[in-house]
This record gives sequence, C-alpha cells and structure tokens, in this order.
Amino acid sequence: MNGCEDKIPSIERWLDGELSGAENDSLRSHVAVCAECSEAQRRLEKLQSTLKAALLSEAQRVDFAPFWRAVQLRVNEKRPWYQEALDSMRRALPAPRVAWVVPAVIVLLLAVVSLESYLPGWRGAGRNAFATVESIDAYGRNVALLREYDTKTTVIWLYQDQEGENEAAEETAPSGPAF
Amino acid sequence: MKLLKKPPLRVLLFSLLALLAVAVTVTAQKQPQNVQVRIGSILASNQSDEFDARLKGLEKQLRVLKYRSYRLLKDESQSVPWQGNRVFEIPGGRSLMVAPQEFQDNRIGLKVRLTDGPKPLLDTTVRISNKGNFILGGPPHEGGVLVLSISAVTQ
Repeated sequence: MNGCEDKIPSIERWLDGELSGAENDSLRSHVAVCAECSEAQRRLEKLQSTLKAALLSEAQRVDFAPFWRAVQLRVNEKRPWYQEALDSMRRALPAPRVAWVVPAVIVLLLAVVSLESYLPGWRGAGRNAFATVESIDAYGRNVALLREYDTKTTVIWLYQDQEGENEAAEETAPSGPAF
Repeated sequence: MKLLKKPPLRVLLFSLLALLAVAVTVTAQKQPQNVQVRIGSILASNQSDEFDARLKGLEKQLRVLKYRSYRLLKDESQSVPWQGNRVFEIPGGRSLMVAPQEFQDNRIGLKVRLTDGPKPLLDTTVRISNKGNFILGGPPHEGGVLVLSISAVTQ
C-alpha cells in the first residue's frame, strides 16, 4: 500500500457519481497515475456490475403488483376527521414550539405559587382579610357577630340581656353590645 | 453532554426540574410547622378617655366598639403546633383554649374556646388570614368589658 487506503471511500463515491466537479477531476487524475487506486477502481467496478446483474435478474422474478395495489389503497384511503384535525394542528404548531409550552406553563405555575408563598396577599390586600366565622356556640348566651368593612374587622360579642345571669348585676358594664 | 444538545431532551430535563421545584414549593407552603398565636387582653370601658399607647396598631379596630377607654391588661404569645392546642390565661379567672385546625389559601383555621373556670362561655371556629386577627369581646370585667384580640401567624 502506498498510503492510498483513505482514497477507497472516495473512489466508491466517485463510482456512485457523488463527487463534486473539482473532487471528481482530482481523483480521476490521481487514479490515472496510481496503480493501487487504479486496481481498487477496477475491483469496485467489477463488484458493482456483479451486484447490478444479480439484482436485475432477481427483480424480474418479484411480483410488484400487490405492493402497488397496497400503495394505491393507502393513497385513496379516507382518513378519519380527528386525524385530519391533528395533522392541521401539527402544521399550525410546529413541534419545537409546542414542546416549550409545557415547561413554560410549569414555570408560570411555579411563579404564581411562589408569589403566594413569599408575598401573601399579593392578589389584593383586602381579598381575604376578613375573618370567617364557621361556627359559634355560646351555650345559650346572646352572641352578636359584627363585620366592619372599613377596618376589615370581625367581632364576636358575648352579651347578657337584662334577665341574664346573676353575675351581670355585679358588674357595671353595659349589658348589650356597645357597637 | 452531547445528549443535552438535543432540544427534546433539554425540554424534558427542564420540565422535570421545574416540576420538582413546584412540588417542593407547594409542599413547603402547605406544611408550616407551628402557629404563633397572640392574645391581647384589653379592658374597654367608658370610665375615662384613656387610650393605651401599646394598642396603637389596633386602634382603628377597637374604635369600632364605641367605648371611650381602652387599656391593655395582658399580651401573651405562644407557639402552637398544628392539631395541638394551648391555653391562655385571661384576666378575671377565665381561660382561652386555641387549637389551629388547618392552613389553606393563606388562611388559618382556629378553634377557640372561652371558659370561666369549669364553665364554657363560647366555642367558635374561625378562619383568619395569616397574620390577621379577630376580636372576641363582651365578658364583664372591672367596670368595663374584656376585649380579646386573637391573631395568628404561621411559622
């Protein structure tokens, strides 16, 4: 070998007609003066012609009619509406753009959750400021519930009426709610 | 690292990391360890025009009650675990049991029981905003009425 081993792939591409004009001319000139490459060219051409002959003789025996019938059937086949819809959606939203929607939504969700966690009440100061009374049991006593909107105050007020318990008489505080 | 240059793999990896971050944040938000409950015991009366300077932060809320005088008798804070409870001693021999129930949408559910010795005066369940408060008042005390400011903040 004269160091022309790396030329073999180029010779194969040359024989297949895959080389550009300049590469083609350069390799042709080289093969003309290089015995080793000339021999490789001859060997590859022989191999190619043998394969081609074998392929042509075998191809005659193959029946292509069923294959073409199947192809024609597939071409003429009416596709279901959802398949059409999916395809048009795919055309409108190319895959790379859709792929980034998923993490983008997740990041947005993360931002919303984090804001609520680190900046409580960011959605509006007064939105949830009122206390909500879910149940009251004053054991038979009078009870009043007041919600004052200016100060967002919730007041639960226990009071005794005039005929209330004895201890009411001992106190000088007003018996009814003062508000 | 060549694999990371492929867009679908980068997207997948990024999505997984983002999901993990969301899960950690949501879990962290839903499980605060304790609730700091603060009870301010205030005497409201019409015997003077005194307004205790320590109640400055509650002035607007207290003025709703229309008394002339407000004096802070006791201010107590306790850390209460979720599903646990703490008892606060209230002036006049009363006590207030507070039990945090749940934390949802930045609001704290509190079960509150006011007793006078062995006698229960009031049972209530209230949901207040985190760092918010509500007022419980009415029991007579020293010529006026007792007003309790009950506030809670998650820890």
